[in-house]
Amino acid sequence: MFLYILKKEFLLVFRNMHALLVLFVMPSAFIIIMSLALQNTYSNKIDVKFKVLVSSDNESRSVKDLLFKLETNNFFEIHYANGVVKDENSLYKKGYDYLVYIPNNYLKSIQNNSDLQIDIYSKPESSIQNINLLKNLLSSNISKQLIKNLLIQLDVDTTQTKDFYNNIQHHYISKENSFQMTSVQQSVPAWLIFSMFFILIPISNTFINEKNFGTLRRIKSIDVSMFPILLGKVIPYYIINLVQVSFMILVGMFLMPLLGTDALQIQGNFGLIFIVASSVSLAAISFALVIANVAQKSEDATSIGGISNIILAALGGIMVPKFIMPEKMQEISELSPMSWALDGFLEVFVNGGTFTDIQSSIFKLSIFAILCFIIAYILLQRKR
Amino acid sequence: MAIKIQSLTKSYGKQSVLENLNLHIKEGEIFGLLGSNGAGKTTLISILNYLESKESGDITILEKEYDTNKAYIQSNSSYIPQSYAFYPELTAYENLEFFAALYKVQSQEIKEKIQEALKMTALEKYKNTKAKEFSGGLKRRLNIAIGLLNNPKILYLDEPTVGIDPQSRKYILDIIKDINKTQNTTIVYTSHYMDEIEYLCDEIAILDEKHIVKKDTKQNLLDENGLVTIQIEDETIKINTHNGYEEFTKCIVALEKENQKILSINYGNKSLEEMFLKITKQDLRD
Repeated sequence: MFLYILKKEFLLVFRNMHALLVLFVMPSAFIIIMSLALQNTYSNKIDVKFKVLVSSDNESRSVKDLLFKLETNNFFEIHYANGVVKDENSLYKKGYDYLVYIPNNYLKSIQNNSDLQIDIYSKPESSIQNINLLKNLLSSNISKQLIKNLLIQLDVDTTQTKDFYNNIQHHYISKENSFQMTSVQQSVPAWLIFSMFFILIPISNTFINEKNFGTLRRIKSIDVSMFPILLGKVIPYYIINLVQVSFMILVGMFLMPLLGTDALQIQGNFGLIFIVASSVSLAAISFALVIANVAQKSEDATSIGGISNIILAALGGIMVPKFIMPEKMQEISELSPMSWALDGFLEVFVNGGTFTDIQSSIFKLSIFAILCFIIAYILLQRKR
Repeated sequence: MAIKIQSLTKSYGKQSVLENLNLHIKEGEIFGLLGSNGAGKTTLISILNYLESKESGDITILEKEYDTNKAYIQSNSSYIPQSYAFYPELTAYENLEFFAALYKVQSQEIKEKIQEALKMTALEKYKNTKAKEFSGGLKRRLNIAIGLLNNPKILYLDEPTVGIDPQSRKYILDIIKDINKTQNTTIVYTSHYMDEIEYLCDEIAILDEKHIVKKDTKQNLLDENGLVTIQIEDETIKINTHNGYEEFTKCIVALEKENQKILSINYGNKSLEEMFLKITKQDLRD
């Protein structure tokens, strides 16, 4: 009997090509867009620099020297204007992101320990991180000027002094082979998980059709347990989820480099990816079965399922990487199954983790899957 | 007796749907269950098919106690709902194959059973067509074909001809008659169409206000319909005109000859429909 139940489910799944297509096209599009969009977050190479207009009363030697030093940074494009420029026009019409006013005698004021203020102006939506970055850039370069002046006063040959910044090197350490975290490395597992949970839409649509057409009612009038009926719905979608995983990995490995990003590197074992993918898939399908049982119409399932998926994704670090979140939000994000899934995938994709490293994620996802399946079964049994 | 129901009661919350309902349905007959919307027909059929729980009362189906023989009763009966309860994306054959498996038909017998069901409902040439491409009539026939896969001893048909053209309706009614005749299947049939009930059923019950308010053989009900009552001064004469008005004409001529004064003539109900409306005492129910 179970084979015929499976056959029916497979036929229904594969005859709904539009829904299937969405499961592959949507995450591919997200991976491409988000990898390209977040490229700068993980890279030192910035394509679009923020435009900064530095102004002072006149272009003194020290200002000129400071401008020269500022130009060597990776994040800001430095322009200069005479006079105090702090008008709206420069920000909103001329397209500058930041305006900086430096008093002409700034070096002297620092050396004399007298009051000095350097002002930065920006649009209200400017990120505080970028403002701090600009502040650090200004203060480090002014410090360099001060040190240079001091060294000159001490008769030290400053032509031989090196910028120590370049001596500070950062290295990523993964558990097996060392490699660098990239936007592709974050986007592929994140959007893959999101799309795996979107299996909810086709599952609930077929399930709700069964309810609305009276097919489920007819099945319940037959001497048959609801367990194989429910289990029959899990297997085809589990296979689709695994195909999604393989497809998205291929997109990350081969398509993304063609679009100018880094290629997805997989440091961990493929067997472990299969284990994580399986537990994510079972959690996603069981969750979908609960929603499908609760919803009365396809529209309900689409809205309840869509909204809950988006909330779980937002909390789980899919839309915004967890490390960007404040501590409280990071704690809340631990409640989302998508967060457990992302931890598991990143452990294998990025850190080259072992089974011990992913067992906590697998355990949480499996418990979630079992609980959801039991709830779905009880709801189905009780439904009249 | 195929079905025996005694003092069946069912309510949804505070709203009572069936109250102390008693009903006997004989084996091998086509039993028509009439009732206006909300009368409780579907609830009754649902209880008999274990789709709703009963509150109290005793039910015996196929000589087995309802509460303790669910598996036996379910495997020997079949429920054909009003809706198209199958998968539109699957072909007729694929639908039948799936339901045959649910009915636990042995793998080696599945083909044969499907063939029988297709033949019985004249769907052979459509077996590889997706159900969503079927006309309303073909969909109704597929709905019935699925219900035949387990060779049911009792077949419940809940308004199986809703929304189809008269030709398809007649065709389906003949299929149902044929199933009853060739397989001696007891058929419990609910419908709003009185002509269908009159054409099909051996026995008819009217369900109204939570009770069975009338139950008799079709013949008796039709006879009752054709009963003309002539009131003369000191006598009431009743004449059955179901088979014609010859006797009635003779009676009138005789009364004329005898110079009897006819006070009134009551022609009874003209049809099952008029009788139904009179019994349920309403023209329109919300």
